[in-house]
Amino acid sequence: MGWLVARRRLVLAIGLIVVAVVITLVVSSNARHAAALIVALAVAIGGVTTLTIRGFRPSHPVLARATLTIVVLDAALFATYFFSSITNFNLAIGAAMSITLLGLSFLTGASGQISLGNSAFMGVGALTVAIWANHHATTPMAVTLLIAVVCGTFVGLLLGLPATRLRGPYLAGMTLAFAVAFTAIVNSFTSWTGGDAGLQLPTAVTPPHWLTSFFNAQTSILRVNTMWLADITIVVTAVAFFFMANLFASRTGRAMRLVRDNEVAAELVGVSLPRARVIAFMVSSAYAALGGALWTLINNSVQPPTFSLALSITILSLVVIGGIGTISGALIGGVIYAYSNNVISWFTQHTGINPQGNLASQLPGIVFGGLLIVTMLFAPMGIAGAAHRLWGRRRVRSPE
Amino acid sequence: MSRTHTRRLATTGSALLLCTALVMAGGSVITAGAASHTPGVTAKQITIGATVPLTGIASTGYNEVAKAADAVFMYVNSKGGINHRKIKYILKDDCYGTPGFGCTGTPSTVTQTHALLSVPVFATVGSLGTPTQDSVRSLLKSNGVPQLFVNSGSRDWNNPTTYPGLFGWQSSYNEESKIFAKYINATYAGANVCFLGQGDDFGSDGLAGLVAGGVTPSDTQLYSVGALVVTQGASLAPYIARFQTDKCTVVVLDTIPGATDAALGAALQLGYSPHWVISSVGSDPVTVFAPLAAKGLTTDPEVGAVSFSFLPTPGSSSAWIPWMRKVLTADKSQFPGFSSTTTLDGNMEYGIGWGVAFVEALKASGKTFTRASFLKTLTSMTFSQTPSLTPLRYTSTDHQGLNGGYLVTVTSSTSAKPIDGKIYTTDSTSTGPVVSAKKLSSGIPSWLK
Amino acid sequence: MDPFLTSRIVSDILGGLTNGVIYGLVALSLVLVWRSTGILNFAQGAMPMIATYLGMVVFAHRLGYWPLVIVSIVAGFVVGGVTERVLVRHLYGKPEINPIVVMVGFLIVLEGVAAAIWSTTPRGIPNPFSPIDWQLGGKPIALSPFSVYEIVTALVVMTGVAVLFRFTKLGLQLRASALAPEVSRLLGVRVSQMLTLGWILSTGVGTICTVLVASNFFTGLTPQVMDGIFAFGFIAAAVGGLDSPVGAIAAGVSMGIVLQFVGDFVNSNAIIITALLILIVSLMVRPNGLFTKSTARRV
Repeated sequence: MGWLVARRRLVLAIGLIVVAVVITLVVSSNARHAAALIVALAVAIGGVTTLTIRGFRPSHPVLARATLTIVVLDAALFATYFFSSITNFNLAIGAAMSITLLGLSFLTGASGQISLGNSAFMGVGALTVAIWANHHATTPMAVTLLIAVVCGTFVGLLLGLPATRLRGPYLAGMTLAFAVAFTAIVNSFTSWTGGDAGLQLPTAVTPPHWLTSFFNAQTSILRVNTMWLADITIVVTAVAFFFMANLFASRTGRAMRLVRDNEVAAELVGVSLPRARVIAFMVSSAYAALGGALWTLINNSVQPPTFSLALSITILSLVVIGGIGTISGALIGGVIYAYSNNVISWFTQHTGINPQGNLASQLPGIVFGGLLIVTMLFAPMGIAGAAHRLWGRRRVRSPE
Repeated sequence: MSRTHTRRLATTGSALLLCTALVMAGGSVITAGAASHTPGVTAKQITIGATVPLTGIASTGYNEVAKAADAVFMYVNSKGGINHRKIKYILKDDCYGTPGFGCTGTPSTVTQTHALLSVPVFATVGSLGTPTQDSVRSLLKSNGVPQLFVNSGSRDWNNPTTYPGLFGWQSSYNEESKIFAKYINATYAGANVCFLGQGDDFGSDGLAGLVAGGVTPSDTQLYSVGALVVTQGASLAPYIARFQTDKCTVVVLDTIPGATDAALGAALQLGYSPHWVISSVGSDPVTVFAPLAAKGLTTDPEVGAVSFSFLPTPGSSSAWIPWMRKVLTADKSQFPGFSSTTTLDGNMEYGIGWGVAFVEALKASGKTFTRASFLKTLTSMTFSQTPSLTPLRYTSTDHQGLNGGYLVTVTSSTSAKPIDGKIYTTDSTSTGPVVSAKKLSSGIPSWLK
Repeated sequence: MDPFLTSRIVSDILGGLTNGVIYGLVALSLVLVWRSTGILNFAQGAMPMIATYLGMVVFAHRLGYWPLVIVSIVAGFVVGGVTERVLVRHLYGKPEINPIVVMVGFLIVLEGVAAAIWSTTPRGIPNPFSPIDWQLGGKPIALSPFSVYEIVTALVVMTGVAVLFRFTKLGLQLRASALAPEVSRLLGVRVSQMLTLGWILSTGVGTICTVLVASNFFTGLTPQVMDGIFAFGFIAAAVGGLDSPVGAIAAGVSMGIVLQFVGDFVNSNAIIITALLILIVSLMVRPNGLFTKSTARRV
């Protein structure tokens, strides 16, 4: 029975792909575009078909997650081709931020710890990339990103060790002190870090020739460059999210949630509390560092004062508003970060607030802070949690 | 069973629809091309932009600069614009790249520059800050957008081979310090000189200029802006105490206004009163004294300090001063309260200075121009009718901007006056001499009056 | 004698003392809230800042320095009380991350609102004390009339809080409702009002501190005036133990002095790095602070 359904599905998928190929060939005038479209559509159709096979998700969870990641990645990469440069740039910034958010979401959501130092971990990753690139310009980008992640993990370990003994407010205090001290630490090694002025990458990230050839000669360089930046960031983000989704569901993830919910019970079943906490801390700072590293690539430069306590607070706000401890919450937070300023400036334009006045410049902060309070008081699981609850309720109510 | 069947049908159906939509979209976008004209310029309007600190630590005083330039543009627009084009000036707040609590959620300089690029703007004009503008040099270059009149005295703006579209405006920190050195050697020969500078090229270029001019400080200290903010200025006190112990009689400050405040305050507290020589960047009397004024301090500790100006002081007889007041009074949106009794401060003068320079360059470029032809005009002309004391001149190999001015002394909490009115020029090299300026700026062009 | 008073060591101690009492006051105000309601108040710098603006700026044209100080402190009481009743009340018994997040949000809102109304340009607060150090044989002693005013005020406030808690019935009720709310309620203590009172007291102490800071430093009153100082006060409170008022004050004062030496003998970057190291080391030794008696207590 199951096989029969699967075979019918396969036939349907192949049929769909054939239809898509025919349409593409009819519509498109350029062989490159046609090929890219066919590949993108085939991946999307194949992925969606696989995911809707009954029983596939529960029986092959890792494979299902991989398929879902690939489908989303496929759609996102495809979409960047049509976006304007500013949309793609914001998308890249938001995607990089969502990696950092995911790290904190894991730390807080899975192990119940709170950190106000994630801006500094982000700064570690961001500076590592810039310093490395300035000394070894030829290192491939992927390797540089990995080095940044390793450095972030190591700093996370350094701070995570004392953190294992601390409870909420003391841990918050220690990480806050780290965030405040970050700029001073950077300024103590000016010859490496460039001090307050920061560093620039010796060469900007530029798209490969095969990508440039997709565009006609009149397309602005800006559009091609930002699309490439967005694509790189999206791929790295997809990989990071895939790993985290598996970590959430793994034995380690379950052990951490147990630590969060009931320490005594966790110890009884043999979970080592300090070990669980250090691991959570390291994962969180590794993700923050990866976000920061991408940030440097996107901005082509790094300014250490960016990674201030204020950014930590922004990170915390976004995680809470998106939904602590959820994968989708981190994505929502990233989107909010990328586009909130557009929304706010649209708002100021249409309400007649002087765009260069005090109120307009303070509005983002007031809105962020206000949302933070409202979310925590009325929907502590954030947008993701609220949406989940709404959706769940509707499903129960439907009469089928 | 029937329920899952329906759902599956719905899923595949919508997938098919999505595919078709994407294919159609692909077909339509691929054929779209960009029109070829000068970005940011239409028959009726030219759009330019800048990233400036409207909030955050650097905003005090500096938030007036670009707004004052905008007042010039509004004034020109009210007279019909340049070649019938109105100037639209878009300001984006970048919080000086140091997002503190004062500007939570403020995007970075790079993000804001991307926003300007997408408008699009013809050029960025008068963006502020060394590290902030360094971070967008290559972005603007790769998109062919000129980066004009960067508000900073760094030498980074003078690099025409690598950045042909990048231009500074004010005299460099280096030039200013060389002129200071000449003065110190003439007035306080053999004095024990100490130096406090900002821990970036502001401090290091300034120090290099002093040394090039023949003054080697006995004690040199560099402060960090981060620590200055965290400690509310208290981090400078130990440096000043050290200068006092070293018995320095002349102290040179290459500091932003907030740090000048902290240094003067610390000295006052210690009962230490050396001869102060303060960079034009951090010496504006109004900006410096405002926070000290209400502290019960009856005398401004900055009075008597020596500084430098590449613009005529507000109390001088320059014809530009009443013109500036007229322009600012006319602008009811950015300077609503500006009247005949309001003090004209150095930040407003500064913005008006390069605002006028841009307007004149635009006029000189003619009715039809491209980015390339505009830059060509800019590098081939001498602008001798702008508010600056010396003519503004760029060449194909020199994009620094002004290269001279006069020494001033602070006479009260709101004013400074020229010491002897002698205008000097020099360059940013270690060997170029400090000489009296041969050519001076001359008056207001009639079409601007 | 003369060279001793103006020596570098004595100057650092006196300068450090002046900073230290301020850190101590911030730490004390944090402890007052923590003890009464078990909440770490991240808006402990911003709430008094708003109160100081309300007092000092709104009435600046009509009143002199001392009436303005009184108005500010009253504004501080009101801000503290209203915050507890309207915002904090909903946070009792929630996971410990909830109040932290809400108070962080409150901090951003308050600073944003203050900057929107009064701008980020510093405002000076005229005070009757000269900030200029006394001189001895042509050299300064690191004390001015203003710093003496600061130190004396801080000591008076600290003593006042101690007397209130130790020797008055109200103080006993405050302590009782913090430690054993159920028992206190049975004994007729109005616990709910005691919690509000804890916040009122704390914000009052914070406001006195903010007034001192805003009228002292050469940067004046800004919406961010307490940000940096809050971090140091926070570190002091954590080092001393959030349960211990004595610990908070002692840690604040000694940190002020140690950091002054670090700033003088090393450099200004080392100040905050040293503070971080002090915090890490002391928390490694005593995870609940150096002066806390019961290490097992959890809220």
